[in-house]
Parts: sequence; structure tokens; C-alpha cells
Amino acid sequence: MQIEVRLYATLRRCALAAAAGVLTVDMPEGGTAADVIAKLGINADEVHILMVNGVSSPLTRVLAEGDRLGLFPAVGGG
Amino acid sequence: MAREDSLALLARGEIPERYLRNIGTIGIDGQKRLLESRVAVVGAGGLGGNIIELLARQGVGFMRIIDGDSFALHNLNRQLLATERTIGMNKAVVAAARVAEINSDVEAHAVPEIFNENNAVELLSGMDVVVDALDSINSRLLLCRMAQKLRIPLVYAAIAGFTGQVGTILTSGPGLEKIYRKANCSDKGIEVILGNPAATPALAGAIQAQEVLKLLTGIGETINHKLLYFDTELNIYELLNLE
Repeated sequence: MQIEVRLYATLRRCALAAAAGVLTVDMPEGGTAADVIAKLGINADEVHILMVNGVSSPLTRVLAEGDRLGLFPAVGGG
Repeated sequence: MAREDSLALLARGEIPERYLRNIGTIGIDGQKRLLESRVAVVGAGGLGGNIIELLARQGVGFMRIIDGDSFALHNLNRQLLATERTIGMNKAVVAAARVAEINSDVEAHAVPEIFNENNAVELLSGMDVVVDALDSINSRLLLCRMAQKLRIPLVYAAIAGFTGQVGTILTSGPGLEKIYRKANCSDKGIEVILGNPAATPALAGAIQAQEVLKLLTGIGETINHKLLYFDTELNIYELLNLE
């Protein structure tokens, strides 16, 4: 199944070839958000907000064909 | 003119000239509510400096400004209240003096202390809104827990590089644990890598000030149960659903 992944801020540096941090990842059926993160070589500890189709979701979320996954790092400055 | 004089004019349906350009948006009742409101701003750095400036001009009647830190040279690029004259001075004290210069209707109470578990209840009790203008994740989590416990709405923002995220956390909604997921989360985020350029705190702080205005006047819709995320590098402005 194909998952559209959108990387934000510093996480874009994990996929420099992806224009504006947007890329498509091919995953086996039953794959989770954590599996996508691992496949991209991203440290899961760096992901704080995780959105699936526009809704906040856990790392364990099982994905389906065409899902849109957004990954955000921690922002803490003031 | 003192706050009582402005309130007396407003009670008669008259508009103090300094608020003339506010009234078309928030009305006389809205201005009266603002002048009677109490807001705690926790942090008087990049976000806080902008928020305090805007709330003083808008006419929020009481501000408690909490910051135990002093201005340093590396604050000059973005912190409104950091000037070559104020380097080395406590941020809360400088902020309260700035408020006094802008608007004598506003009572500004400077608290030159680090916000922590021991002073949280005393500093936040009786406030109508609490504003998170901190710069560490653990302090933010504490502030959010305390605001929810005291049943005070919290206006949150955090920034790094071209990126900012802003939202209003109501007493019954999801808290910052939806934004900072790790139990053993580091105290800092990607601002350690990206720094904070001049405009990012101004942008996020201005949206926070608008959230405070909406909360206090009851006008419009706040960004609650959601997070406004912006990344001006790529012109991204998204509302994330935190439910």
C-alpha cells in the first residue's frame, strides 16, 4: 500500500530528496505509523505530533492505502 | 488617566480616545471586559515581549508578568524588550516598566521568579487567562497541568526557526501531552538546532494575543482542541486536529 508522508521542519532533513518534505512510501498491508518512521530511518523519539488524515494519532496506528501521515518534531522555543 | 476613569467613560457609552480603534472590533462592552480582566503572562522573552506589548495596547486591565531571567546579548535579535540598555536587567521588571509607558490603565505586576511547582498556584490563582510564553518543554507541561487544575484557559505557543505552533487549551480539552508525547521528553525542541529568528516570535505572539482577546471578550472562535501550525519557509499554515 502507498502512504503519503509529509515531514515537517527538521524532519524534512531525513528525506532531502523529497520536495518540500512530501514523499510516498510503499508499505506492506498492516503497517503502522511506527513502521513508516523506521523505514524512513527517523528516530521515533523525534516525532512528537503524528497526524493521520488530519487527526492526531498514536505511533501504533495501523495505516491503510492512501493514508496521509504527517510527522512533526518537538518545538519548544519562546 | 487611570483605569477607573476609562471604565467610568465606557459605562456611560463614551470611548476613551486611546481605545477608539479597538471599538469597531470588540465594542464598548468588549473593551470594558478587557479592562476588568486579569492575565498572567509566563515568560517575557521572545513570545512574551510581543504579547505583553499587544495586550497593554489593547487594554487588558491587569497583567502578572513572570520571568526569573535577565536579558542577554543573544536575546537582542528577537526579544522586543531586550535593548542595549536593558541587557542584564530582569525581563519581568523591564516588561512591567514598558507596560507603564504604554498604558497607565494597565496594572502590571512583575514577578522576577522562575515559574515552578512551588509558586504556580499562588501566581496563577485568580487569573482569567494564562499565557504560555516559556522556552522549556517541562515548564510548559507544568504550566498546562496547573492551569487545567485551576480551571483557567491557557494560550500556548512554541517556536523554532520558521516554525511556530499556537493553540488555546481549555480546562476540559486535550492538554500539552498531545503535543509533547514522550514521558521522558527532552526539555528543548528543534529550536536548539534552528534558533529563533526575529519575526517568528512576533508572528506566534500576535496570534496568542488575539486568542487572549477572543477568550476575554467572548468574540469569535479560539483555536481549541486544535493547533495552528505554521512554517513560513514553505508557506504552510495548518490547523491540526488534536482530538
